[in-house]
Amino acid sequence: MADPYKPRAPFAPWDRRTLPGIFDVEESARRVGNYKWTEMKLFEALGGWVATVPELDVKMRLGTHCYKHAWHAELWHKRLPELREMNPERLTAPANDAMVRFIEAMTEPEGPELTIEKLVGVYRVLIPRFIAAYTYHLNGTSEITDAPTIRSLKFILQDEFDDWRDGEMILQSLIETPEEAARAAAHMQKLEAIMIEAGGIAGIGTLGSL
Amino acid sequence: MRKFFPVEDLARDSRFSKITIADRMADQRTALAVNVNANGNGDADGPSKRTNNMRLTPSRRDASDGARGLMHGIFVGEIQALEGAGRTCWDFETGTEAPFALKLDMARQCWDEARHVEISVKLSDWMGSEIGQYAENTVLFEAACSSDPVLRLAGVNRALEGLAIDVFTTMKEFGDLAGDQYLEFCEDWMLADEVTHVKMGSDWLRKITENDPERRKKALEFQNVVDKLFSYGGTRSDSQESPIGLARRFRELAGFTDDEVEVIAEVSMQALNERKVAVGQIREAKRLADQSAHK
Repeated sequence: MADPYKPRAPFAPWDRRTLPGIFDVEESARRVGNYKWTEMKLFEALGGWVATVPELDVKMRLGTHCYKHAWHAELWHKRLPELREMNPERLTAPANDAMVRFIEAMTEPEGPELTIEKLVGVYRVLIPRFIAAYTYHLNGTSEITDAPTIRSLKFILQDEFDDWRDGEMILQSLIETPEEAARAAAHMQKLEAIMIEAGGIAGIGTLGSL
Repeated sequence: MRKFFPVEDLARDSRFSKITIADRMADQRTALAVNVNANGNGDADGPSKRTNNMRLTPSRRDASDGARGLMHGIFVGEIQALEGAGRTCWDFETGTEAPFALKLDMARQCWDEARHVEISVKLSDWMGSEIGQYAENTVLFEAACSSDPVLRLAGVNRALEGLAIDVFTTMKEFGDLAGDQYLEFCEDWMLADEVTHVKMGSDWLRKITENDPERRKKALEFQNVVDKLFSYGGTRSDSQESPIGLARRFRELAGFTDDEVEVIAEVSMQALNERKVAVGQIREAKRLADQSAHK
């Protein structure tokens, strides 16, 4: 057995984590507040839509995904006080007015014949934006000082990838004609236009600047 | 998407046929085989001379069909419970109308109910029935339409999910007696979730109305109405004449006090007796109609 008193390096040779990150505490908290607000809007909408979709498999998926996004909102809610925001409601806010309009447009479809539009908004526009914003945060934040956020981001990203795949597969099974493909594309274009104006879930600069 | 979704707009595929509780009660084939005399007094004097023990057990001649029908009722009930919990996530503003943590609980319930729908589909298949084989009574969702989230919790989580505890306990026992481990296993798991949901309702009801006795009173009155409605004219009670028993132990685990369980027991017995009178009146009217037709 090795000598237990022999000095060892605090960071093992395979531990390549570095200290610097691109977000200070304030910026990290602002982003987390935007994430929480958007996850809340998403889980509320998914819950509300359950009663409006006639397809049984879609109903069950929406119910399942509703909870996952609620759990993400809860993780962010708990992270905010750890980022010096003792009143989590203060930072639970949309990134900008365009983000509010995006959510309004995404949650507008209600009729039972509009399942494609409902799913396109979530799985082809919003969740890919979540994946992008979370990945940027994960790659940019300090691997040492912001480890709790990284842990949450990894759990949440796993959910987002799983849900995106579920939603995309359901959409592919629902879109059977060129007309339905056109409907999906038109709705996606409408929502993307608003999302571009918003700049992403954390506003302009969600993915940094090139 | 609107806030507050009307029950008649619940979206279903072509296999489902929706009915109201009035339709169900007016259906003379409704399988509450209570024994009543012509005056509806509850004597064992019905035309079929049926036994007084109507609890759903494998020894009943109609056990297979009864269990299949009940399973389908559970299946559509789970769909509506999922829809109701989902609507509570959407219908109320976070903070001003419903606490964030309450909505998180409702989202969790959505996931649980979605799993219950999955389990019910698999179980129905196992038991030999098909989706849409029986009509869907939408009264459960109606109880989830209140504009006060506390009333929804009282009506859905405490009354309806409480009924689910009774139903799952009966079905679990049925599976045990019939040697159907698959059924018993599934009911056991769903029962665990339902106890959690009832407890959520009990906890939130007490918390939100802590300083608002009038609101608590209204919520408990609403729960009472739903409890009676969901006793389905005596389908659930302590009496062996009811196919479904009152699961007292699991109700205690879910946060019901002894007094509250007693109230539900009384309401259920009252519903059973009212149903007996109603069935007696229907039979008497039919007898008189037959008599005059033969004159």
